[in-house]
Amino acid sequence: MHGRIVLAVSAVVMCATAPILPAFTLTLLTEALIFGLFAMSLDLMVGYTRLYSFGHAAAYGLGAYSTALLLIHFGLPLPIGILAGVAVSVVIAVPIAWVCTRSTGVSFAMLTLAFAQLGYAMLYRFKEFTGGSDGIGGIPRPAGPFGLDFFQGKIGYFYVVVFCLTASFFLCTVLITSPFGAVLAGIRENETKMRALGYNTRAYKIAVVVVAYGLGSLAGALYTPFAGFVAPELFFWLVSGRVLIMVVVGGAGTLIGPIIGGVFFVMLEHQLSEVTELWPLVFGAIFIAFVMLAPEGIWGLLTRYVRAMLPAPRGEAGQEASSAAS
Amino acid sequence: MNVAGFLVAQSLNALSQAAILFFIACGLTLIFGIMRIINFAHGSLFMLGAYVGYSTVAWTGSFWPSLIIAPLVVGMIGGTFEKLLLARLYARRDSGAYLMVTFGLAIILAETIRLTWGPQPLSIPIPDRLRGIVLISNQPFPIYRLFLIGMGSAAAVLTWQFLERTRAGLLVRAVSQNAEMVHALGTDVNAVRTGVFALGCAMAALGGVLSAPLMTAFLGMGSNVIIDGFVIVIIGGMGSFLGSIIGSVLVGFVQVFGSYYFEDLALAMMYLLMLAILIVRPGGMLGKEE
Amino acid sequence: MPLLECRGLCRRFGALTAVDTVDLAVEPGEVHALIGPNGAGKSTLFNVITGVLPPTDGQIFFNGERITGLPVHRIIRKGIARTFQLTHLFPALTARENVRIAAQAHRVDRWRPIAGGRVFAATRRIADEALEQMRLSRFAEVKAGMLSHGDQRLLEVAMAIAQEPCLLLLDEPTQGLSVEETDQAIQILRGMLAKGGLTVILVEHDMEVVFGLADKIVVLHRGRVIANGQPAEVKANEEVQRAYLGGME
Repeated sequence: MHGRIVLAVSAVVMCATAPILPAFTLTLLTEALIFGLFAMSLDLMVGYTRLYSFGHAAAYGLGAYSTALLLIHFGLPLPIGILAGVAVSVVIAVPIAWVCTRSTGVSFAMLTLAFAQLGYAMLYRFKEFTGGSDGIGGIPRPAGPFGLDFFQGKIGYFYVVVFCLTASFFLCTVLITSPFGAVLAGIRENETKMRALGYNTRAYKIAVVVVAYGLGSLAGALYTPFAGFVAPELFFWLVSGRVLIMVVVGGAGTLIGPIIGGVFFVMLEHQLSEVTELWPLVFGAIFIAFVMLAPEGIWGLLTRYVRAMLPAPRGEAGQEASSAAS
Repeated sequence: MNVAGFLVAQSLNALSQAAILFFIACGLTLIFGIMRIINFAHGSLFMLGAYVGYSTVAWTGSFWPSLIIAPLVVGMIGGTFEKLLLARLYARRDSGAYLMVTFGLAIILAETIRLTWGPQPLSIPIPDRLRGIVLISNQPFPIYRLFLIGMGSAAAVLTWQFLERTRAGLLVRAVSQNAEMVHALGTDVNAVRTGVFALGCAMAALGGVLSAPLMTAFLGMGSNVIIDGFVIVIIGGMGSFLGSIIGSVLVGFVQVFGSYYFEDLALAMMYLLMLAILIVRPGGMLGKEE
Repeated sequence: MPLLECRGLCRRFGALTAVDTVDLAVEPGEVHALIGPNGAGKSTLFNVITGVLPPTDGQIFFNGERITGLPVHRIIRKGIARTFQLTHLFPALTARENVRIAAQAHRVDRWRPIAGGRVFAATRRIADEALEQMRLSRFAEVKAGMLSHGDQRLLEVAMAIAQEPCLLLLDEPTQGLSVEETDQAIQILRGMLAKGGLTVILVEHDMEVVFGLADKIVVLHRGRVIANGQPAEVKANEEVQRAYLGGME
């Protein structure tokens, strides 16, 4: 409940202040929100269904490269290019999801990693298409249909990202609070029992992985016109690591937590990288600290703190499946 | 070129590959046997071994000390990590936490390596005494690779002897069967775990040092090798020492002959192998861990 | 026509034969009690019937339809619900949420990703009824992991009946329950059976429960059926008495 309020308020504030923010901050914020979206997409798998993935970079990379190739080779208008990139990624995600969900636990994680590594290898193998280690540069931000071009500028593109993030958040919330989401909660808590109840848990897992890859690829697709270039590093396992860190530290199973985690990290990264080169270590250490000491993440801690302070009784109306942060 | 000679040469190649893989798979297997977890950081530890080896060579001017120093350093790091962090997770029956923490370690190691040694691959020269080639069945074959086969075999034999013939080895085997019972008999099971974890890390590091003269020390060694190790452990059977030997040999052959005949797929070979195995046996061997 | 029929069912684990040529026919509306010493193969039989384990030999028919070899979820969806020997719940979810997930499992619209209001209303109603029947209504908002062992087992039964099954397989439902709790459970089950439309196979060790509820008793010993019939005849059966080493509890 609170998550939605926080997001809504933040979105409004950011959109309102966008025109007056310095360009550098706006750029940073855009990147941060893209990563927040990326992290939220993983939360569907990790936080709500307990499907740990070490290869979510694949979703990001797929979205980024698909959009890049589509924009360059077909000259599609920007919004179409992004949507098409996502569509391509979703199609590719289906067999990936099908294979990975054959296993659970470590095997599942390894399979996701394998696909990401495979993607990385494929990029080098098919150099002519993908530019190999040089990646693809000079990606345009073409005007949209009907001559829409407000998003070609920094502020306009920022609005696009905010819109996509908010829309995705809304979509995820609807999913989570639906009967489908209730099933995910059951799978998370006791998959054997769910099968014994008659649920085809494999089908649900495939579905949630495809949705997660879809939203992750949306983040990648948004990144491409933002940065103007794509490179194989997008598929690298450390990217998967970073987004997993964002989810866990932000607060798995809360949707808003990972968004905050993503934003927080990008901001912190830019601040820290000016001061010291050690920031990746800091992140790794923070990650481990949270896993060991505060598995509910930043958002979980905040919620706990706020609840402890408020005397009013909590009555969460509605049919939300219990928070996964326990 | 005659077929027999070719087969012999490639088979030896495969065995040398298997030797390196064994150093990783053995540690991974031992750790899984004792702790029922896959140490995801194993690949990064292998990588760390290679880089520490590089520095030792640079520092001492000789290859040989690195064979001792790298495993020692990395083994200690591993043991400390286990004692300080992993040990605390036993009470929490949460396999997710183990995955995360070892993953976190993998990340920290990878980033530390990049910071300390930079992003460029570093090469270690093959020591003088092991340079050159010998003729086997009229095929030239690098001496260094024979050396690897020797080291791998020696390690396998030593580990086997350790497990079967020594009291410490017996303890290790007992703990992997039934930790509670061993604990009830008065042994410090935690110490055994720390020791085995450290040993596994040390072996991985040794593998890294040995592989560095051939493939250089580079970022990204870790993520490839962990998948190899994982595949071997699945093939060989989780926690089975003999299985790790068989698996290493099998994978070594698949990698060498596979990349010869399917050159295009060389990079993707291992991932495809793993996909193939997990498609065929998705839960079978790993059912226990859940 | 029997609701459930097993013909020559076998399940081997290597050299061990856990289920040995079992023939079973359960008519609609009957309550069969499955008894036997520990290790007789009762839970394994349940696992084979519900598809958790494939049979090594033999066939299973439900409502005349062959269900041998089908995946678990397909078998369950034909109208079978089961409980487990070791309590299987969703400990972090509330009792009501637990039962609702069970109720949702058999709805056609169980997967609805959007606008599930109607589904939730329906499942909530079914869940509340089931909780009421098992006298657990006061725990509706309590996390299942916090309930006492006895209440957890009753909750599991509530989840089973929320699936609105034709056939109910209960695996030692009163295990771990106190005397009062067991009496309560018997009363509840009697009430449910009186309403009709339910067929039950019950694995039990507690003979009071068995004789209080069963129409037929099936005795398993080392995987084989050594007796199958009315409670009185089974009680008198010498082989059965021998198997239990000194008569019934």
